[in-house]
Order: sequence, then C-alpha cells, then structure tokens
Amino acid sequence: MLTERELEKVLYAALGKGGDFADIYIERKDANGITCESDKIEKIHSGIDYGAGIRVVFQERTAYAYTNNVTLEGLLDAAVIVSKAVNSGKSSDVTISLSKKEVKDVSPVKYLPGDIPVEDKVALVERGNAVARAYDNRVRQVTVAYGDNISDITVVNSEGLFVQGTRIRTRMICSVVVSSGGIIQTGFESGGGTAGFEFFLNSTTPEEICRNAAARAVLMLDSRPAPAGRMAVVMAAEAGGTMIHEACGHGMEADLVQKGLSVYAGKTGEKVASDVVTVVDDATVPNKYGSFSFDDEGTVSQKKVLIEKGVLKTYMYDYLTAQRDKRPSTGNGRRESFRHKPIPRMTNTYIAPGEYDPQEIVAKTKRGLFVKKMGGGQVNTTNGDFVFDVSEGYLIENGKVTAPVRGATLTGNGPEVLRIIDMVGGDLGWGIGTCGKDGQGVPVSDAQPTVRIPEIVVGGILE
Amino acid sequence: MRGGLGMTEEKCLEIAVRAVEEAQKKGAELSESYVSHSKQLYINVREGDVETVKVTDETGLAVRLIKDKKMGFVFTTALNYESIQQIIEQALHNAAKTSADEYNILPWPSNEYPSLNVYDPRISEVSVEEKIEIAKEIERVGRAYDPRIKVTESCTYQDAVYVSALANSRGIAVSYSGTLAGATSYFVAEENGESQTGFGLEFGVTYNAVQPGKIGEEGAAKAVRMLGAKSMPTQKTVAVFDPYIVTNFLDILAPAVCADAVQKNKSLLAGKIGQKVASELITIVDDGRMAGGIMSSPFDGEGVKTGTTTVIRNGVLEHYLYNTYTAAKEGCCSTGNGIRSSSYKGTPEVDTTNFYLEPGKVSQAELLKDVHKGIYITEVMGMHTANPISGDFSVGVSGLLIENGELTTPVRGVAIAGNILELFRSVDCVANDLRFFVGKGAPTIRVGSITVSGS
Repeated sequence: MLTERELEKVLYAALGKGGDFADIYIERKDANGITCESDKIEKIHSGIDYGAGIRVVFQERTAYAYTNNVTLEGLLDAAVIVSKAVNSGKSSDVTISLSKKEVKDVSPVKYLPGDIPVEDKVALVERGNAVARAYDNRVRQVTVAYGDNISDITVVNSEGLFVQGTRIRTRMICSVVVSSGGIIQTGFESGGGTAGFEFFLNSTTPEEICRNAAARAVLMLDSRPAPAGRMAVVMAAEAGGTMIHEACGHGMEADLVQKGLSVYAGKTGEKVASDVVTVVDDATVPNKYGSFSFDDEGTVSQKKVLIEKGVLKTYMYDYLTAQRDKRPSTGNGRRESFRHKPIPRMTNTYIAPGEYDPQEIVAKTKRGLFVKKMGGGQVNTTNGDFVFDVSEGYLIENGKVTAPVRGATLTGNGPEVLRIIDMVGGDLGWGIGTCGKDGQGVPVSDAQPTVRIPEIVVGGILE
Repeated sequence: MRGGLGMTEEKCLEIAVRAVEEAQKKGAELSESYVSHSKQLYINVREGDVETVKVTDETGLAVRLIKDKKMGFVFTTALNYESIQQIIEQALHNAAKTSADEYNILPWPSNEYPSLNVYDPRISEVSVEEKIEIAKEIERVGRAYDPRIKVTESCTYQDAVYVSALANSRGIAVSYSGTLAGATSYFVAEENGESQTGFGLEFGVTYNAVQPGKIGEEGAAKAVRMLGAKSMPTQKTVAVFDPYIVTNFLDILAPAVCADAVQKNKSLLAGKIGQKVASELITIVDDGRMAGGIMSSPFDGEGVKTGTTTVIRNGVLEHYLYNTYTAAKEGCCSTGNGIRSSSYKGTPEVDTTNFYLEPGKVSQAELLKDVHKGIYITEVMGMHTANPISGDFSVGVSGLLIENGELTTPVRGVAIAGNILELFRSVDCVANDLRFFVGKGAPTIRVGSITVSGS
C-alpha cells in the first residue's frame, strides 16, 4: 500500500496541468465463486482484481485513467496521462494535505468469507441443489451459484479526504429448468447482502432460495399465458422493488436530471406522485445488498427521502453533480470497480409502507393481475416509459387471487404510474439485483409494500 | 513490437508459457494460461465540449488446470512471480473440491490457424485530439440535422488495442494483436413538451469504420421521427423488425445453439438437429474468421482455431456450437467457440463469435411495400428480461405504423409477447440489408401476425 505522502504526490501529478479536483480510488477485490450444475460441483473460481483509478475534473471535463500497476510508479504514469487529457493551460496551485477520516461500518460482519473453508461453502451449495432437485420430478436442470467477495477500498482526493474501508458481500442464486409435454419453464431466486457467511445462517437459507426457484418454475408449467391489455395490477411486497427502481429511481439520479434527460428535471418541491407515495434511498440499512459505509468517492452514506407524500424532495447526487447544483453530495457516487468513474447511482431504494392491509388491497380489486415476483426491467428516463417482466403472476378475479399466468410484462410511464397508485400496504419486501447504467453494474436492493396501480398496460397474448 | 502497447505479444506469451510450466511443476496434470493486455480510449462529448476522456491500461492472467479429472480456475491482475505462484496453488486447492469429470481436458494445437487481419496500426498512430474531433463532428452533424434536436445525451468515440496470448501443457503457444474502434450518438428531440431519444452507432476493427456523419445523422433522425408517438389499440397485426431488433432476438436465440445449454437440458433446440425449427427463409451462421468481424480472431479462448458454422440452414437446425469440453462429451470436434467473454476473469465457455442471420433478396422498401397495415419496430425495452431457456419474451416496443406500404406515424407504449421460435417460424420475408451491431448481424425481417398490446 502507498503512503499518504506518496498518494499526495500522485494527486499533485494528476493536477500538474491544472484542474479543479482530483481523486484516486484504489480497490483490491478478492472474489470466490462456486457453481453447481448437472448435480456436480462444476466450478470453483478465485480471483484477485487489483487496480487504481485516477480522476481529474476541470470545469465540465473529466479525465480518467486506471492501471493494474498499483505502485508509486504505475500511479504516477496514470496521473501524467490524466493531466495531459485535462491540459487547462495553467497549473493548479492547490495545497494537498491528506488526513485520514474514520468511517463507521454500517454492515458489521460476523464470519469473514475468507475464514470459511471451501468445503463449507460447497456444502451450502449442495444443500440448495438437493432441495431444488427433489422438489418435483419435472425438474430438468438446477444451477446453484454461490459468490463472495472482499473489497479493500481506499479513496483520497485533492481536498484532503482520505478514507479506507472493507466491503464484504455474499450471495446465492438458483435457477431451475422444468419441462413437461414439450414446454420449458424456468424459475429464479436470489439472496445476498453486504454481509459475511452468517447471511445464509440467519437471513435466508440455501434451502429457502432453491425451493422458491423450483416452486416458481413448476408453477409456470401449470400456468396459462397472461392476458393482454389495460388492467389493474396489485404488486405484492415480496415482488421486490424493480418497479420503483425503474419507474422513479433512475429519473432522480442528478446526472440525468442535469442533462435534461429526466422527466423529473426541475420538479423539486412539486407534486410528482399521489399522496400515498413516499420513496426513500438509504445506503445505511445494515447488511443490505446496496449498503456501504462510504460511497466510491469517500462520502459517508446517507438516508434520503426522495419523494415525501407525493412531493419531490431531492435528487441523488455524486460529487460532480453536487458541485454543479452547489450543494453537498448525497453519497450516491458509485462505480463498478476501479475501471470506472463514479456516477450517481441508487443504493437500497424503496417505497415506504402505507396504511392498507395487503389482503384488503386484493379484495378491493375486481379484476386484474396480481404480481407476486418481478423480473428485470428497463426505463427510458427521458420520457419515463418503463417496462418490467413479471416472473410470477396470477389473475385477480372478483377480489381473489386465482390462476397463475406466464409471460406478462408491465409497460407504463413512471410519472403516470406514481400519480395513480391508490393503495399502499403496511408491509415491506426486499429484493436484490445488479443495476446497469452507462456500462457499469453495481449491487442494489429495492423494496416496496403491496401497492395497487389502478390501470397499466399488461403485455401478453391475445387469445 | 506493435505500436502503442506496453506489453508485446512476445512478452505476454512468455508469461503464459511460464505460468503453465509452474503449474505443471506444482502437480497439475494439464494446465493452461491466458494473458490479456489492452489499452483503451473512451471520449464522450456533449454540447461541443469534452465531458470525459478515459484512458485505460489493463493486464490480467488466468490459469485453468486439471488434476484427477477435476478443474480449478483462478485469475489475477498482479503478474509478478509470487502472485502467480500463489494463484496456481489456489487453483489446485479449488480443483480438489470440484467434481471429477472425464471430459475435463485441454485441446491439442490446431493444425492450421487462419491468417486474419484484425489489427489496424492507425488506431495507435492517430492523436487523441483528432479522435476528439470525430466525437465533436458526430455531435455537430446530429444537432444540425433538425432544430428539434435540443439535447445531446452523449456522442462518443472509443477504441482499443489489445494482445491475447494463450499457452497450454499440450503444446499450444499462440498469440495475436487486434484493434477495435467505434462511435455512438444519443440525441433527444423535443417538441411541445415531449421528449424522444434516438441512437446511432458503428463499430469495426479499423479506424475507418467510424464515419461521424452517418452516426450523427442516424441518432438524430431516429429521435425526430419518434416525436408525437402514441399508443395503439391491442390487436394482431403484421410486424416488421429493424435489423437492430433482430440482433436483439439473436441474443436470445444464441444460448440455445450452444452445446453447453443443449447438454444441460437448458436449450429449446435440444434434440432438434435435422428438424425444421424456423421458416425456410432463415439461415443463421457463426463465423469466427469473418473478414473485418469485430469478434474475429485466429484462435478461440482455448487456443483452438476459429471456424465457420452454419447453425440453421433454410430453417433446418444443422449444428450446435462447441468448445473443447462439450465436444469431448459428444465425441466431436470443437467448433472454435470456447469464448472468454469476461476476458481473463472467466473460463472459456461456449458462445457465439460473429453470429448473423443471412440476408435475403429484396430491399427493405420492397419488404414494406406489401404491408397494408402493421408496425415497424425500431426499439425494444426490457429485452434482457426475455428467457433464453424457454424462448419466451415479453417486451415493450416502439416504432412506426406501416400503412399501405409506407411508414407513417410513430408508436410507443405498446408491448409484444411470444416465443422466439414461434417468431422465427412465422417470418415471411427477409430483406437484403444485413447490418452488424458489434458481434451480431441481421437484415430487416417481417412476421405475418403478432399480438401488440396497447391501449
């Protein structure tokens, strides 16, 4: 590891041809993965990914370089490259004096993945596999994958910031393929957190993850194609928060707002959703998949109310977008790795619980679609149009959840959906995912209570 | 030494060969090492000025080894002696805990590797300033296209110069250098408080592949033509798919022709060799040695020579794609499709190279001419949620109405759903406008009837 003096030297070199701000992000990630497929432990992978990224900001311009050569020499080379790319015409007269700041760890870990023998991790995977295999005789394939990683991160910048910390994440996914009478269906479930090996002992067991995946696949075999057209949709809490992530979250990232690429631009203080909707992004929830103690620019993590009772309160900022709006960062500056510059990203995003009994919401819906689990989604932030996939859905007929349906997607417009949500339940369910933006994937989690959208386009098959 | 790279082919190959020797010394029965070194440039321009310049320098090494028919895999970005020793031991440790599999083998050297030119020295020679000008020119052209183009989301230029070297204990020791260059444009058109987006892009292996005028105009034109888009009533109608959308569907189909998925009961094309699986107008080819192909290389991620495989010919499923493991399992030959899609960070898995739908005979205009009423689909949302195992998809789409053979008003906020095989079965016309979007290529296609869910 480089000393404080050496890191200062690299920052000075980065600002050698001018610039307003420079930072260095050093990350060493040790990752392990185990995959079980065809009833065999097929792969055990390990990797060391070590590198440093250097950024210089000059007015509206960002220069970025990274290297795997994490030595004073390697970093100085990269610093010279970024300084040339900035080339402001004058040198910077900034004085840099790093002082280390201790940051409280929001996700305490009990069992470090590195201390757990490989055979114990293999056993975890095998337990999950056995449950999924035994679930139904129509199960044709089961894939169980376990992954853990430990990242040691150092961030320093020309304003004197110096933070260091460790992030530990563990996760498991299970994918099940079933087939019968020439029809193939699949089921998927995942679980994970910014947590150690205890995650699988306390929160979610491999048996639970794999049983859910198998049950979902089997259910889809017995289901009929989803209906097509406009209808009411009730989303269960356990559906996960993909909808809020897509319909609202992305449009509230400050870079998109500032570029005029968001339907929520210029709407702070305005009513953008119905009274029953409160949306929060909170990186400080202990051990959630999108949690961290400080973001990838060294800013301490925060809880932000984005929409309060329908009124837009704040966007999500990183350093650069915060500078532009002359305000502090909200701690949403994130990056996939040292290979990428930080940009505003979500962390753990959720709709806050409301007052309705979840069962009452269904009972009050005459006809529609009940979404028990959502799949992936996508949004066009410029016009707010979004789509997401329903991985487990049922018909609602006369206030009751009835037959399972497959192949449904919900297609709608974010602002429109937020305005018409009319019931919010008192429950809250979480899901995890990897969110993609500008070619960077970061771990996030989303949550929501049971909610009702009175009318939305369901993409299905016209019988 | 090829210009602009910190590590030569010779140096990368030397490291790979040495890692294999070390692995053998430590007790591996078979071992393989892959070394990749790349330098990339990314420039993003907005509102006439550079927003981001990114310069990268990346080197990594992967080791795969087999002992007692068990395989272990590791990678590292630290290429010093101690680190390589350490990861080889980790690989042996990992291997010991995996299941034994008699098909865990590594390939012998191929008799003859294709001679390909995927390296353009100009990419290292041209200055960063000139490349910035390309990105700025893309933006200028796009903004000048129509006064309603009000916002630039991004205009980018990007390129890469790289070396791949691979060695194994059966005598493979190969390397090559390559280049890539590409550019994109993303514009927003605004009118009466409404915003619509459009994109243009082009990627190739040479510097000349990037034509700023074309890329800028494409993004702007696509954004402007979507202004005023409305939903349409739910109905069954004729659908015409733009080449870009067809390549999105090829992404969903690709895993089904990979032997790995077939052998694991994860392919909807399993057991269907020799059967008609698509319209006779459909011929799909994977060509790892295609001239100018962005995925072309002399050898695959295991050191096997690349090939040309016709996967579906005139609607009949002819061949799956294989790597060494899946070929050993079926007693056939690898088709040179052991691909390291995550470079040194993952094992070589069966995947496509340059994968394309062969063009037909008629022009796009002729294909549209016979359509009395239908939708021309130019954008999809949520394609990554389609299920490559069942082939089921349900996506949001936008595009233009087709009325009496002409493209008329824009449409958005509608969805289509179905199954990928159904879709390829019901293709009734394939145009001659084959176009590649990075590793996938397709012409415009037409489908007789599909459900469009709307208002």
